[in-house]
Amino acid sequence: MSWEWKFVWDMMPQLLLGVWYTIVVTVLSSVITLFGGLLLAILESVSTRIGRMFVRFWLELFRGIPVLVLLYFGFYVLPELGITLSGLAIGVLVLGFVYSAFCSGVYRGALITIPNGLRDACVALNLSPYTTWSKVLVPIMVRRAMPALANYVLMLFRSSSFLFALGVPVLLGEAQQVASQTYHFLEAYTVAGVFYLAINIPFVYLLHRLKVKHG
Amino acid sequence: MASTTQFSGVERFDAASKTSQDLSGAWGIEFDKVSKSFGSHRVLVDLDLQVKAGEKVTLIGPSGSGKTTVLRLAMTLEKPSAGDIRIHGESILFDALGKPLSSAQESRIRRRCGMVFQQFNLFPHLTVLQNLVLAPTTVLGQAREQAEQAALEYLRMVGLESKVNAYPAQLSGGQQQRIAIARALVLKPEILLLDEITSALDPELAGEVLDVVRRVANETNVTLLIVTHEMRFAREVSDRICVFDQGRIIEEGVPEKIFVHPERERTRSFLHNVLNH
Repeated sequence: MSWEWKFVWDMMPQLLLGVWYTIVVTVLSSVITLFGGLLLAILESVSTRIGRMFVRFWLELFRGIPVLVLLYFGFYVLPELGITLSGLAIGVLVLGFVYSAFCSGVYRGALITIPNGLRDACVALNLSPYTTWSKVLVPIMVRRAMPALANYVLMLFRSSSFLFALGVPVLLGEAQQVASQTYHFLEAYTVAGVFYLAINIPFVYLLHRLKVKHG
Repeated sequence: MASTTQFSGVERFDAASKTSQDLSGAWGIEFDKVSKSFGSHRVLVDLDLQVKAGEKVTLIGPSGSGKTTVLRLAMTLEKPSAGDIRIHGESILFDALGKPLSSAQESRIRRRCGMVFQQFNLFPHLTVLQNLVLAPTTVLGQAREQAEQAALEYLRMVGLESKVNAYPAQLSGGQQQRIAIARALVLKPEILLLDEITSALDPELAGEVLDVVRRVANETNVTLLIVTHEMRFAREVSDRICVFDQGRIIEEGVPEKIFVHPERERTRSFLHNVLNH
């Protein structure tokens, strides 16, 4: 077993394509995660008992089933039900749904820590429910939830590697393809790991900054 | 003929203005046999309290005697278990047919009240100016410039116009409370509810907040309903004092009567305990 720089160089275009797809998947599903989680937390807080049961069911569904099972279900079972989506779309939706379920818990925790007095102040100022949520509660929730949310985005980024199972050319998928074609497992998986780490590091730094700033 | 018509017109005008005068001289806020229970705990029992428009009334009494609940009921932060509450003769709970008010009706009548809280409750993510213009721009639909102009006026009144761009966390407790008073006043409430507004402050900072309330009391004709443990302040600023004990008003009267010649033994012992510690 020996390290050959030439292969590293040769597989660069393919791996960089993987980096690109990994970033695209992470960004798209993060958007679903951050907004979806917020929406679920607000729904759970304002809805009736039946609405709350639905939200609870939704949360347990996506937190309870492994990501890979959901991906395969979306890819192989949904077409039989007449819903055919690309692997990329399914991957983005599944990651978005799974992590929005986790993030809604974070938002909910942030909501609970907002003192009742602030809601009283909203009533005393005669703010409408819409203004109360959009101008007071949500901005405070987001601020308080930020460090924990960043953590989940980080996990989501790593989970994006699962999408290789649906043939989406994320970094892991590309590395696997290169490795199986050339039998240079060492170079392919090592470089893939280094890339994952390299993308991770700025995230971790940002996360640290957020934690310092928002406690 | 023409003069007769004119005369009757004037007469009608007089009658109308007299009616409106009657209204303003009438009760600003009335509590009619109001009871409030939390579970089996009865916080207020058959409360009857009438406050005239422009009157300054202070509620005193031991902790847990129901004073704060009176203010929270007036602000519709709580619903009474029984009884009715009227502002300028209009129920804040029921419409003319006795049905509960819709949220739109409730919001319209709630506009007459403003409230300042023990814990200030400023919005921590907004600057002082943003705290003050949020309600005027969203509730009253004022243009931002107009709202900011009004906000600055009230900030001057509480002596904090230099803090427009500060965040609440950058201010002392006393300053935060003065901002909270300004925030309540920009909506021009007819009735201002002050709920132990100095209890979270040390005496020096409490003084600056009470000075602001004195100015409000002297310079505006807002109806004040105050809950406080500051007896000197209560005596000085109030037209009337109500002494609460166990959810009932046990004694009421002008400050002189309550503080110098209290009739009830319970009032005497309460004042003795408060004034000697």
